[in-house]
Amino acid sequence: MARRLAGFLVLLLVVSICEAAFLFQPISDSHRSAALELFTPDHGSFKSLEETYEALRTFQILGIEKKPDLTATACRSISETVGSSSSTAKDLFYALKANSIAECKIDKKASKGIISRLNAAVSGASSLLDFYYSVGGLVLIKDQSSEADVHLADAEGVFRSVKAFSQSDGRWRYSSNNPESSAFAAGIALETLAGIVSLASSEIDQSLISTLKNDIIKLFDSIEKYDDGALYFDDKLVDGHEYQGPLSTTSSVLRGLTAFAAVTAENLNLPGDKMLGLAKFFLGICVPGDAKDFFNQIDSLACLESNRVSIPLILSFPSTVLSLTRKDSLKVGVSTVLGSEVPSLTVKLVGAFSSGSKDASLVESQELDFDKASGLHILNGLPKSIDVGSYTFVFEVVLHEPEHEEVYFMGSQTKVPISVTGLIKVENSEIAVLDSDLGSIESQKKLDLAGKNAISLSANHLQKLRLSFQLTTPHGRSFKPHQAFLKLRHESKVEHIFVVGNSGKQFEIVLNFLGLVEKFFYLSGKYDMELTIGDAAMENSLLVAIGHIELDLPEAPEKAPRPPPQPVDPYSRYGPKAEITHIFRAPEKRPPQGLSLAFLGLTILPLLGFLIGLLRLGVNLKNFPTKPVPATFAVLFHVGIGAVLLLYVFFWVKLDLFQTLKLLGFLGVFLVFVGHRILSHLAAASAKLKSA
Amino acid sequence: MGKLWLICIASISILLPFLCNAFSPETPTDRRVLVLLDDFAIMSSHSLYFNALKSRGFDLEFKLADDPKIALQRYGQYLYDALILFCPSVERFGGSIDVAAIVNFVDSGHDLIVAADVNASDLIREVGTECGVDFDEDPSAMVIDHIGYAVSGTEGDHTLIASDDFIKSDVILGGKKIEAPILFRGIGHAVSPANSLVLKVLSASPSAYSANPKSKLSTPPPLTGSAISLVSIVQARNNARLLITGSLSMFSNRFFRSGVQKAGSQTKHEKSGNEQFLTEISKWIFHERGHLKAVNVKHHRVGETDEPALYRINDELEYAVEIYEWSGTSWEPYVANDVQLQFYMMSPYVLKTLSSDKKGLYSTSFKVPDVYGVFQFKVEHQKLGYTSLSLSKQIPVRPYRHNEYERFIPAAYPYYGAAFSMMAGFFIFSFAHLYSK
Repeated sequence: MARRLAGFLVLLLVVSICEAAFLFQPISDSHRSAALELFTPDHGSFKSLEETYEALRTFQILGIEKKPDLTATACRSISETVGSSSSTAKDLFYALKANSIAECKIDKKASKGIISRLNAAVSGASSLLDFYYSVGGLVLIKDQSSEADVHLADAEGVFRSVKAFSQSDGRWRYSSNNPESSAFAAGIALETLAGIVSLASSEIDQSLISTLKNDIIKLFDSIEKYDDGALYFDDKLVDGHEYQGPLSTTSSVLRGLTAFAAVTAENLNLPGDKMLGLAKFFLGICVPGDAKDFFNQIDSLACLESNRVSIPLILSFPSTVLSLTRKDSLKVGVSTVLGSEVPSLTVKLVGAFSSGSKDASLVESQELDFDKASGLHILNGLPKSIDVGSYTFVFEVVLHEPEHEEVYFMGSQTKVPISVTGLIKVENSEIAVLDSDLGSIESQKKLDLAGKNAISLSANHLQKLRLSFQLTTPHGRSFKPHQAFLKLRHESKVEHIFVVGNSGKQFEIVLNFLGLVEKFFYLSGKYDMELTIGDAAMENSLLVAIGHIELDLPEAPEKAPRPPPQPVDPYSRYGPKAEITHIFRAPEKRPPQGLSLAFLGLTILPLLGFLIGLLRLGVNLKNFPTKPVPATFAVLFHVGIGAVLLLYVFFWVKLDLFQTLKLLGFLGVFLVFVGHRILSHLAAASAKLKSA
Repeated sequence: MGKLWLICIASISILLPFLCNAFSPETPTDRRVLVLLDDFAIMSSHSLYFNALKSRGFDLEFKLADDPKIALQRYGQYLYDALILFCPSVERFGGSIDVAAIVNFVDSGHDLIVAADVNASDLIREVGTECGVDFDEDPSAMVIDHIGYAVSGTEGDHTLIASDDFIKSDVILGGKKIEAPILFRGIGHAVSPANSLVLKVLSASPSAYSANPKSKLSTPPPLTGSAISLVSIVQARNNARLLITGSLSMFSNRFFRSGVQKAGSQTKHEKSGNEQFLTEISKWIFHERGHLKAVNVKHHRVGETDEPALYRINDELEYAVEIYEWSGTSWEPYVANDVQLQFYMMSPYVLKTLSSDKKGLYSTSFKVPDVYGVFQFKVEHQKLGYTSLSLSKQIPVRPYRHNEYERFIPAAYPYYGAAFSMMAGFFIFSFAHLYSK
């Protein structure tokens, strides 16, 4: 139960979102544009005849021009369904319903066939829906073809068998073997029974009708209520798929009730406020976004508009926010739920109460003037006693013709919240720095809160800051705004907010910095001051930067609280970083190439000197062996030395150490061998020379 | 054989929706969304928003928040890819869902939209706290703005706010500028300054404050000015995206269709910006924008095509990566000029902006620093509203080998010359010494 209740609360919330609470507007153009959006056929036709009917019916009620191709495609599918022998009673029912608006031609033969098939369906029906579709179909065909003689042979018998589904609480069951009863089924049953009565060839027993009347009254006893006076029917949530939701259920009951009231001559004795409550429910849901809900809403409102029980009237207000500056006049419109004209009537303002207080009415009872051109009732000029603020106005509607009171219903009194706004005068605003001990004024400055200010003050922690101003309403009374804040913002974006209190007209705030040092986190420096004065009734709500104050506060002790972290700007958190390029090690400094080459030349010089020295010494090759064997060894020895030196050159140019050593090994062995031979030969030769 | 293939493909296509869960670059489609409501009437009163989602291919499943049968996962598999909580007054979720389950759902990379409202339940506030925002604690507080309210003939308490203080980000709010202000009626929240993942998308004006409009204020309200966030988003580290707002009615058909005129402004907009704003932001939430993937990371020496196992100091190298953004239906090239590459060892040695060919390929070339060690190629792309890209690839850098140094240095020619003249002298001397008489 609590679960459902929570659900209802939210629906109520949605309702109150729809319009300011307790205010209902009749159907307007927004519904028309929404209807065109919601009922858009896919590829030219709707999915089913039921949807076609809903679209056509909605367009008809809202007075939207039907598109000819829509009607044409509808007619095609209607004649298909009607002509086919396999279509069920449900298909026929919706085909005929759609036809009642599309007004296509159905040939006589087909309609004869339908009548006999529906009649057979009535006699073979076992559940409420069977009866509903077959009886409904018969009623529709009776209305559509005047010459067709459609009637139920045993109307009273059928009536009784439908009545057998009713329960003692006014709800109905879908079939005799289904124990669940619902208000949705009750609506269907009422519509069926109304059809049976209209099809009956003879009068139905009055006692049956009156028991049914009692059932309806019992059903209305189970109606549920929202805070704003909206009434609706809802079924207990059962797990079955039959649960429809409050909108469909209420709509179904209302359709049944309207149909039934249309066929009986009797007065149903339902109080008008129930119908008004239902009207509020349907208007309160605003513009539904679902085609089915939309149809249910519009169709139900059409039922309310044309029912024979009582037609609810709705007070509507183009504006409930009135400005004293613009001298707005209070305008009230009275219309039916679909926004159509109403008979002549007078709207009376019975009382006006300041909201929140239970005092006596602020105004005398007075009638509103009717303006023919706009069709609105106008209260010219608000009474003097109404100042800015929010009020509850109480209206009463009196119909001029007494016989209309039977037909129309308008609650006894309608309470409407009205807010009155005006320009608030801001005067005597000034800001001062006071010395704490003596209260003497050190510096005082006038403020112009309407314009720009750039006050600059300075204070230390032993001083006080005083800000004061006066607010008066257009009628000269004191005004208390909802929002009167003084904001001090330190350079580091730490903010402190103070509520400015009042005594009468005078608003004053005194900031004693001695008591605030801790709150200010011992942050000395420049504080920007900002004053906000705002109220719903104040047309000139203001947010002004006053200037700044330079505060000199003592050093923070060690355990002083730290100021809270301030939010980081999200834009600065992202974004590309600065590029980094690696700085390479600088290559070693080298002498210019010319210098190196010059020194290369210098290194050759000793070799030249050596050669010249040799020539000067008269070096000769006279000792070179003359015999062929030693000469060969001498040549080989020097070739070997040359090869070793050449190997060194190759080592420098391209060979690695291992290759060089390998080659040097071979050359070395060779050199040792030939060297030994030539050197021993030279030694022997010189020894021979010495001894000789 | 062909039949077997068909069966295979059919079974994969049937299983696929059950296998995939959160948004993943491999299977970015198949979005199933669970919508939890307080009342089914919201389905109808907020249908424009739901229809906008449905028309983009989302499969919405509506359930009452206290339905005992709801569950987010079964047998360890999540049943949904995203969750929408349009149930501000729910005191306890039905079924197996609780705050911890929702947090786990988000922690596994799923998206969440939370709408609170006036008199929001403690449960929804707790969900908000878990997401990193704090709703005003006063249950009857609303955001009031006596300067930035929406002019209305029937609402005199200035709780219907027309706000146009958006975050400046095309990826979150779409490329088209939102001209009309956003209608908002609900509670405000504050985002923690320490939390860097939460972003205020729509902030209140400096004159706004959060208080109960019906009672007198004696103490300063806890939330004032532009510190009040009306709509916030979170992008978690696992790229789960969250939307938190204090107004359910801003999603409603009435606010979508309603005209708006901000107090003090002469322009009257035919239609409020709510539809554009919330639709665009839902595209962001459901990863249709701002979700990046990087593929085909390549690097090689200049003039080569194969990726080496390691680089030598002072090598010239080329690095390229392809980055794509998910557009809701396909991966489109991501175009930006601030994707940066770092060559990183303990700290970046090289940080370079990659140049883009506007077709998704980002590339650059640079010289390897003359420091050897184990480096990383790092692309850390963090941009407001985009998922963060974090690529890293390890690569060692070695010094010169002994034979890779310069061989014939002109400055050393005198030494060479000295050695060789010495050698020549020795050769001549050997003759003079041995054979001179």
